[in-house]
Amino acid sequence: MDTPRPRIAPALLAAALALPGVCPQAAAQAPPERAQLDVRWLHYQDSQPGLKRIRVDTPSIGLRVPVAGRWSFEGVTSYDSVSGASPRWHSSISGASRMNDERTAGDVRVTRHWDRATLSVGGAYSSEHDYVSRALSLRASVSTADNNRTWSFGLGRADDRIDPVNRVVIDERRRTTDLLFGVTQVLTPVDIVQLNVTHARGEGYYSDPYKSLDKRPRERVQTAVLLRWNHHFQGPGATMRLGWRAYTDSWDVRSNTLTGEWVQPLAGGWTLTPSLRYYTQSAANFFYGPTYDPTLGEPFPVGYLTDMGALRSPDARLSAFGAATVGMRVAKAIDRSNLVDFKVEYYEQRGEWRLGGPGTGGLAPLRATIMQVGLTHLF
Amino acid sequence: MTARLLLLLAIGSGGTGCSGPVAVQAWEKGELARPEMRFDAGSLESRMSEQVYPSKEGSSGGTGVGGGGCGCN
Repeated sequence: MDTPRPRIAPALLAAALALPGVCPQAAAQAPPERAQLDVRWLHYQDSQPGLKRIRVDTPSIGLRVPVAGRWSFEGVTSYDSVSGASPRWHSSISGASRMNDERTAGDVRVTRHWDRATLSVGGAYSSEHDYVSRALSLRASVSTADNNRTWSFGLGRADDRIDPVNRVVIDERRRTTDLLFGVTQVLTPVDIVQLNVTHARGEGYYSDPYKSLDKRPRERVQTAVLLRWNHHFQGPGATMRLGWRAYTDSWDVRSNTLTGEWVQPLAGGWTLTPSLRYYTQSAANFFYGPTYDPTLGEPFPVGYLTDMGALRSPDARLSAFGAATVGMRVAKAIDRSNLVDFKVEYYEQRGEWRLGGPGTGGLAPLRATIMQVGLTHLF
Repeated sequence: MTARLLLLLAIGSGGTGCSGPVAVQAWEKGELARPEMRFDAGSLESRMSEQVYPSKEGSSGGTGVGGGGCGCN
């Protein structure tokens, strides 16, 4: 492998982690040369002024092993512990209800590798006390003879079952079909770009059974276009990773997401990665803001009595807002086989941060801190 | 940023007129082998990050298919 600059532990680990190894391609086609075990913990806490809201702790374990030269197996299992307070509508503190939940999730994937192609099949399962999700997926990729371009295809199907404890509905279903088409292109020895298009069509129960007056369409069609560009600067030995996602759906939510990361290797096996993310979205066409009917008061929207069966939702996630994330990741390659990393991100969501139109007024800002610590072991 | 990206794409494909980027040879791909140059680098880490945003925002998609759903409230 061509290693232009001597770099001690990070270079060794980089070489070990680079899956195709000798001859890198636009996307990995060869099975991993070594098995990889990931152990990770995610801690999430969000708040709005005057109220600590949801706290999530997620330990997870991931394993990826090469099998018989032409196959690989991946498996991930995680456990979410969710607790805190969730507003019954909008961001009203007085309406917040206490909640505790657990979610266990697992998925497996088996991949067959050829010289310039892969085919994989995967299954995912997750379970909460009121929500069970099962999903199957098929993925394929094909590279050109020079390995500079890789085409990717994906097909997924999820079958979710919803059984809320308040029995607002019983044994509801949501079925979703996902499609992915992608192309990854090597542009120069230091530039690689990727374009992905995903399309999802879902039918079934989308309402939030725990939010007053929440009634959503029984169908959602979502399309996202993601463009990513990684550029390596040979001078500082750093890599810039940029991304832009445009999203639209049948509920009239349109969003744009910009992401940027700067991966800076340092001496002694350390790597620093500062990151930024900006997100902006329009409101769903059935979202109603915190302006209430003068007669009925909170949480009834204006004119509620004239059309009680209409689609509507006070869920702030369907409002018009902008959001920003600032993050920093610190990683340390201990030796050729072990890497530890720590990442902290601060996230804030506000109506007035929306671009391209007015944001929803009157909602409390949402702030969150996300921390992750991980250990990667190769064997 | 989008403009810069489009500019790079234009430059990348401009090297050979309309026929796409100049083919990068196998021996020129040392930097591309770095894990941070891959789009699936840190897969478990990126999966966990990607799990957070769809539960707090109104959009999802762009990276994969067949993920498990949740009743994230």
